[in-house]
Amino acid sequence: MTLEIKELTGGYGQVAVLKKESFKVEDGQVVGLIGLNGAGKSTTIKHIIGLLTPRGGQILIDGMSLNQDVENYRKKIAYVPEMPILYPELTLREHIDLTIMAYDLDHDKTWENANRLLKTFRLDNKLDWFPQNFSKGMKQKVMIVCAFMTDARLFIIDEPFTGLDPLAVNDLLNLVEEKKQAGCSVLMSTHILATVQDHADKFILLNHGQVRADGTLDELKAKFNMQDANLDDIYIKMSHEDL
Amino acid sequence: MIELWKERLKRYQLNQFKYLRLIFNDTFVLAFIVLLGALGFWYSNLLDTIHSELWFGKLIVVAILLLTVQAGKLATMMEAPDSTFLLVREKQFYQYFKSAENYSRILPIVFIAVITFLMSPFAVQAAGMNVWDVIFLGAATIFAKMLLLDTQLAGLYGKEKMWGINLPVLMNLVFLALLLLASYSFTWLAPIILLAIWVWFNSKLSSFVDQGHLQWQKAISDEDQRMFRVKRFYNLFTDVPGISSKIKRRKWLDFAVNGIKLKHDNTYLYLFARGVIRNNEYIGLVLRLTILQVILLCLIDNFYISLVVEMLFIYLVGFQLKPYFKEVMQNLMQRLYPVPAKEKVAAFTKISNTMLLIQWFVSIFAVLYKFGLSANSGIIVVAGLVVIGFLNYIYMPHQLRKFLDNGEY
Repeated sequence: MTLEIKELTGGYGQVAVLKKESFKVEDGQVVGLIGLNGAGKSTTIKHIIGLLTPRGGQILIDGMSLNQDVENYRKKIAYVPEMPILYPELTLREHIDLTIMAYDLDHDKTWENANRLLKTFRLDNKLDWFPQNFSKGMKQKVMIVCAFMTDARLFIIDEPFTGLDPLAVNDLLNLVEEKKQAGCSVLMSTHILATVQDHADKFILLNHGQVRADGTLDELKAKFNMQDANLDDIYIKMSHEDL
Repeated sequence: MIELWKERLKRYQLNQFKYLRLIFNDTFVLAFIVLLGALGFWYSNLLDTIHSELWFGKLIVVAILLLTVQAGKLATMMEAPDSTFLLVREKQFYQYFKSAENYSRILPIVFIAVITFLMSPFAVQAAGMNVWDVIFLGAATIFAKMLLLDTQLAGLYGKEKMWGINLPVLMNLVFLALLLLASYSFTWLAPIILLAIWVWFNSKLSSFVDQGHLQWQKAISDEDQRMFRVKRFYNLFTDVPGISSKIKRRKWLDFAVNGIKLKHDNTYLYLFARGVIRNNEYIGLVLRLTILQVILLCLIDNFYISLVVEMLFIYLVGFQLKPYFKEVMQNLMQRLYPVPAKEKVAAFTKISNTMLLIQWFVSIFAVLYKFGLSANSGIIVVAGLVVIGFLNYIYMPHQLRKFLDNGEY
């Protein structure tokens, strides 16, 4: 599964947050989307999943745009939002059933996946709970379960590491690795650089709605001319550039 | 602090004005006036049937006044950030609350005056009172309301009990006792004694404030609840943003939704059906209005008014289910589902149809009770069906599609 963003311009209302942004996520790649608050990470994600309409440029998943085939485009994506979004009137079990129905998944096979994930995230005894009884971290885990049990080929995770306990962060990283092995692609935006540094194949550094640099850690080191640097140092250097 | 109060009051009133304009814009108001007319008609018919004093007449007057005095709470306009940003100004807040209390007196006084006025013919005919009796009791109710507002203010400073009894409860009991005493002896007793108690309590108020501390959490959550009630009232007529409702499992109603098969085409039916039965707001709406409709239909003898009631109440329930659709559509995750918009609308129409048909079915019994198996019954029942058809096949699909198209949902 490949995601290709070509000269994407867009944002909310009249304000263009993204200005001719371009990058690519290849088959089986885990990509970290990195940038300051307001750099355009969430806006980029909202354009990819189709919540915002681009003003210019193209977004292609396996060469297909949203307008060509809305339903198949959407079936390829699983999304975990930054703030968990659940239906207040559905139990956890019903959230899983609803997702299965919405994405037209195989009921028994998906439940098998779901049960494994629920066990991993220690939610298996809370199937009849309502969202109002969940803590923020638990809600986030529900979102993760509902995303990772699907047959999606592209996983988009917005700031996954805040609010999760360390054990859950570790479980999530294992899941990401598993999906990668299965040939899926993962795009995650985050501020927790130390974690993403060890788990992503490639990084995209966003600044003012544009791609400042992208590549593997070694490529970035070369670009910024900082041989002993880690991702944190590069990030801070980039942020200071325009001061 | 007075400035802060004035600014907030202005903002609040602008908001209220906005909602009131929305309400009065709606065709619904016409229907509401008809409903008021029907109630007035029923009331005047009722008065005609009373020819001599009833033994429970005075008790009904007392009960009405006791209910009337509950209306209206202290409007403090406190906001959640106050407990962080204005924490240092605690002492000055008393001034603010005093202004708030003065403002909060206006509406209840008007309300009590109107109710007392409307009640007066009944009080004269059925309770054997004269005009002065009614005026005295009305005045007593106003003093009792002032006293209750004072107890609420004391409550904000942690003074919730007196002699071990919850203050508002205590004052309500005193009011009840005085009303009973006065209506069976001399009605002028009630306003005089209540005025005395109010003056006495008012003089104690500043000492309560000095001894206590402002209960920030309580003040803010009380105001939140008050706002919620106000908004819920407006929500009966128009869509109010930011009104969230309580969810209950209601397992015993599962039989109604378990029939929905777990397949792709039923995605939204599955979601809406569970929402409607578990969200207190919507199941409560259907229940409340259906019960009211049945009561009215059982009471009203006039064919035309019954016809209007049948059509109006079905329209009201249908119209007010609409916000539930919007509520669900605001959920970001569902916007990503590979399900076309027309299926969402179709699923909602199914749910709306089911709810309205249940309401319609229940109302048939009330119509039959009043008009028997007659042509009139037939017309009313068919008119109900016509309204359901209009709502679900003409009005709603159009409105919902418009909503989806406008909002990038």
